[in-house]
Amino acid sequence: MRKTLFLSSAIAIVLLSAIPAGAQTSTSTEEGLSSANQALLARIEKLEAELVALRASVQQSAQTASAAKATAQSAVKTVSTVQKLAKVGAAGAYSGAPSDAKWHLAGYADVGFVGGDMPGPDSFVTGKFNPGFHFQYKDLLIFESELEFSTTSDGETTTELEYSQFDIPINDYVTLVAGKYLSPIGQFQERLHPSWINRIQGAPAGFGHDGVQPTSDTGVQLRGTVPVGNTRFTYAVALGNGPQTTFEGGVKLEGVSKDNNSNKSLGGRIGFFALPYLELGGSYLTGKVSGYAPPVGHEETPVTLAADVPVGSSAQDQARYTLWGMDAAYTKGALAARFEYLNSHRGAFFSPTADDPAGVFLPRLGMKAWYGQVSYRMSNVGSSDFIHNLEPVVRYGQFRITGHDVLREENAQDRFNLGLNYWLAPTIVTKAGLEWRDFRVAGVPSETLYQFQIAYGF
Amino acid sequence: MKTMKNNRIWIGTTLVVAMLAAAPLAVAGSDDNKNKASKPDPMQVVRGAKAWKNNCGRCHNLRSPKELTDEEWDVSVTHMRVRANLLPLEAEDIKAFLKASN
Repeated sequence: MRKTLFLSSAIAIVLLSAIPAGAQTSTSTEEGLSSANQALLARIEKLEAELVALRASVQQSAQTASAAKATAQSAVKTVSTVQKLAKVGAAGAYSGAPSDAKWHLAGYADVGFVGGDMPGPDSFVTGKFNPGFHFQYKDLLIFESELEFSTTSDGETTTELEYSQFDIPINDYVTLVAGKYLSPIGQFQERLHPSWINRIQGAPAGFGHDGVQPTSDTGVQLRGTVPVGNTRFTYAVALGNGPQTTFEGGVKLEGVSKDNNSNKSLGGRIGFFALPYLELGGSYLTGKVSGYAPPVGHEETPVTLAADVPVGSSAQDQARYTLWGMDAAYTKGALAARFEYLNSHRGAFFSPTADDPAGVFLPRLGMKAWYGQVSYRMSNVGSSDFIHNLEPVVRYGQFRITGHDVLREENAQDRFNLGLNYWLAPTIVTKAGLEWRDFRVAGVPSETLYQFQIAYGF
Repeated sequence: MKTMKNNRIWIGTTLVVAMLAAAPLAVAGSDDNKNKASKPDPMQVVRGAKAWKNNCGRCHNLRSPKELTDEEWDVSVTHMRVRANLLPLEAEDIKAFLKASN
């Protein structure tokens, strides 16, 4: 651009300096001179106009270049700032390296429908929503807790703390568990009861609430695995607040925040893998129970449950509770076969009440339950994806109670389940099933239920 | 009654001593695990796949490795290490497999 300006200026100067010479030589003819001068002047005026235009163009180009330079400088500054911020951000952000504190939301939910000839109408059931939270700090410990939200028949929402525990690995073979934990007795409660794992809509008779199966306890556990050759032993030893007496005079086997006697329960389970796919286990729990302690602000007393005191009875104000059990699980490929047996006894004792400080007599209470269950996922049958997702299941079990007529009338039964599950995904199952309940007390009618459920483990 | 109280004291003392004595082991173990996690090898992934199938499938269907992120698998497998009584090396192998597969 500058070169063009230079050339134009030079041409203009040359032309201007030549004007006087031209004027001297053109004096020969007045008319011819005038004509040449006019032409020259016109040309000069044209060149001057071009020169002005060029100057304007040059100035505009200079301004544009200046603005471009400023923009470039600003861009360089911005890039520099972004680079600095990126370094700062990378230092504090996840970069593929493990964080010190991590967490994970898990759990399960289910909804369903229950119909049949049980007391009350057929009904949709809201099921449960059980979110579980796992918080881990390095490899030092993990805190885990699970809540259970459900809706009662009158529309109220209930919330329960299923478990809330710290797990602290001591070494390769020992982990300390402290808090409220799922009972390690047997297999069903600790491992199989979530609805996306349980192959039937409900628990086996005697393995749910008001059963012989402890659901949880509050205390400490030592647990782990000991390799022995090609196999292994697993163990869990628990020291907890232990069982308590219920308002009805039964045994409450749920974790409580405060013990009502100075006696702690001791129990646990030992498992053994006879084969990689065959696990055998034995469980034991013992502790003392004392009388029913009404919650603060309540005055209920279990007077209606008092029994006649046997002649020569030497019952005390506490009684020993003892439970033992065995379990087996064969899980190979699509086939899963399970068996569990639990047997408990509580001695006779006097349960003090507000009306009778000497205590009402509660006789010896015995409970035992067992079930066997077989399920088969048809993943190797035929070539249809629909069939591959089907899983028939059958379960049979018994629950027996002695020493407590009310509990026996409500719960003692033979229970037979037949079901067909369809797996929408590895953690989403729809279940359709029939359940026959044959109660063991004369006069209590048997029930046949049909049940549907969809469960999702997340 | 006195014997019972003595038993309780013994149990409590044993727990406390076990906790204190093993605390350094837990810390040392965490360093080891961290080093291993940073160097997954193909054989570890293979061992993890086998342990995943044998242990996790014992109680429930096998979740897809893609369901969770690496960090979530870290926490989930630690949770299951306690629940299913897994050995620490098994848990590390399973983590390596899940992270390599998600």
